[in-house]
Amino acid sequence: MLDLLNAWFVSPFDYGFMRRAVVGGLALSLAAPPLGVFLVLRGMSLIGDAMAHAILPGVALGFLLAGFSLPIMSIGGVLFGLMVALLAGAVSKMGGQREDAAMASFFIISLAAGVMLISLGGSSVDLTHVLFGSILAINSTALLLITGISTLIVLTLAVVFRALVVECLDPLFLRGQSRRSGWVHSVFLGLLVLNLTAGFQTLGTLMAVGLMMLPATSARFWSKRLEGLIGIAIVLAMVASTGGLLLSFHLDIPSGPSIILLAGFGYLFSALFGRYHSLAAKLRRKTTPLAVEQGS
Amino acid sequence: MSQRSLSRLQLHNLHLAQARRTVLEHIEGNFKPGAITALIGANGAGKSTLIQAIMGELRPISGEVVCTVAKERRAWLPQQLALDLTFPMSVEELVMTGSWPSHGALTGYCAGHYRKGREIMARLGISHLAHRPLGELSGGQRQRALIGRTLMQEAELLLLDEPFSNVDSETVDILIRILRQMADDGATIIVVLHDMDHLRRLADEVLMLNGGHGRWVAPNALTHQHAPAQVVPFTMGGRHAGSA
Repeated sequence: MLDLLNAWFVSPFDYGFMRRAVVGGLALSLAAPPLGVFLVLRGMSLIGDAMAHAILPGVALGFLLAGFSLPIMSIGGVLFGLMVALLAGAVSKMGGQREDAAMASFFIISLAAGVMLISLGGSSVDLTHVLFGSILAINSTALLLITGISTLIVLTLAVVFRALVVECLDPLFLRGQSRRSGWVHSVFLGLLVLNLTAGFQTLGTLMAVGLMMLPATSARFWSKRLEGLIGIAIVLAMVASTGGLLLSFHLDIPSGPSIILLAGFGYLFSALFGRYHSLAAKLRRKTTPLAVEQGS
Repeated sequence: MSQRSLSRLQLHNLHLAQARRTVLEHIEGNFKPGAITALIGANGAGKSTLIQAIMGELRPISGEVVCTVAKERRAWLPQQLALDLTFPMSVEELVMTGSWPSHGALTGYCAGHYRKGREIMARLGISHLAHRPLGELSGGQRQRALIGRTLMQEAELLLLDEPFSNVDSETVDILIRILRQMADDGATIIVVLHDMDHLRRLADEVLMLNGGHGRWVAPNALTHQHAPAQVVPFTMGGRHAGSA
């Protein structure tokens, strides 16, 4: 029994690439889910997806200029992501179009531009690498980048947490309090872009969103409190990233998709059996007696 | 002169428009500390527009709003709340956000803040709901929690847009009492009202908006015209504001 556990859960980490992959995955699992929780709460779940596409041309440009250098590609990704976010904001302010409509237009342009750039400069192998990542191939530099960005995100979130909460709950109240309330939104978008950049080398630009959104959407079925949502989402992400890696190691399947599919399984399970709003919760719902209600 | 310097909020020859259509013209006003002003008028008379202008959300075409109250001491409870009720937050946490503007975005709450929050909830009769999520509250309970936030904020200027609609009578009684206490403590309060009974119980002064103009009237002048507790649509038949 112990041997089996050892063979399944410990010995894979004898390999350096697995150790780096699991550390990278855990770092991302700490930083991405809280952002996802806030996106879900702000009704902006799809913005994460759009931003993930938006960083692609920057990554591609970095790739064209410096080859497969993760720091350069990341910087390109951050710059391009922020630019698209700003442009989308500007277009929606200027034309009265909703920000999500502008964002939707920009992200599809970005995706096409990014794929075009990579195809012009590299092979289809490079393209799949950027689009779908390769967590098993991250080296120490990439690992430092990922953990550094994750640390920065967690620390910044801790600092702006309350402002972010107030902005989600009652934007009018925040706007009433400070003329500079717009910075909260900008800081949040900046963190989002940073996180997706850190995620693209492990999971790829397209699937980096998965580790951000799936644990967050799953957590909605387990908690009604903000702290609970964030805590549960982080745990789910950690289980998914580590479990996905192990599955990919043992079953010889691609690591990125197995991490996200495991998170996806967690989502389906939560939707069926979660504590709140799930199918099971609907079936067992009972009314609270009046006496209990008043006594509480 | 002394009255001018006393007043916290003044409106000078205010001209307001929404989507290039003039809503209000020549609005003059002088709102004193400790006074509760009722803002009345038919639907579309410009009550919400005026409130937006006072809060600085709408730039006047001409004229000016002079307000000496610091931004973090102004509170506005609009009729259509931007509040996201699905947000996982309890009543106590909502009330506590009122302290956020004054002591900064980045520092935590101390025991004193929590004590004050609990006192406020007790005054509003919502202590037992402290840990209840906002989405599970009734309209009245929610309104009390929001007033709790403005109390926490120590608001000096409070604008309420129809605070008593969709609210139970017990809440109305509590809110009227609390608003009066806030005014006695020196707050300037402006309330959009539709109900004559509420106006009689609450208002010290009345600003009536009609036909794009404002007219200051004494509350008893209005209440004497109508039977008490009657809901008055404020169409003010017979008066042509254009001739004013």
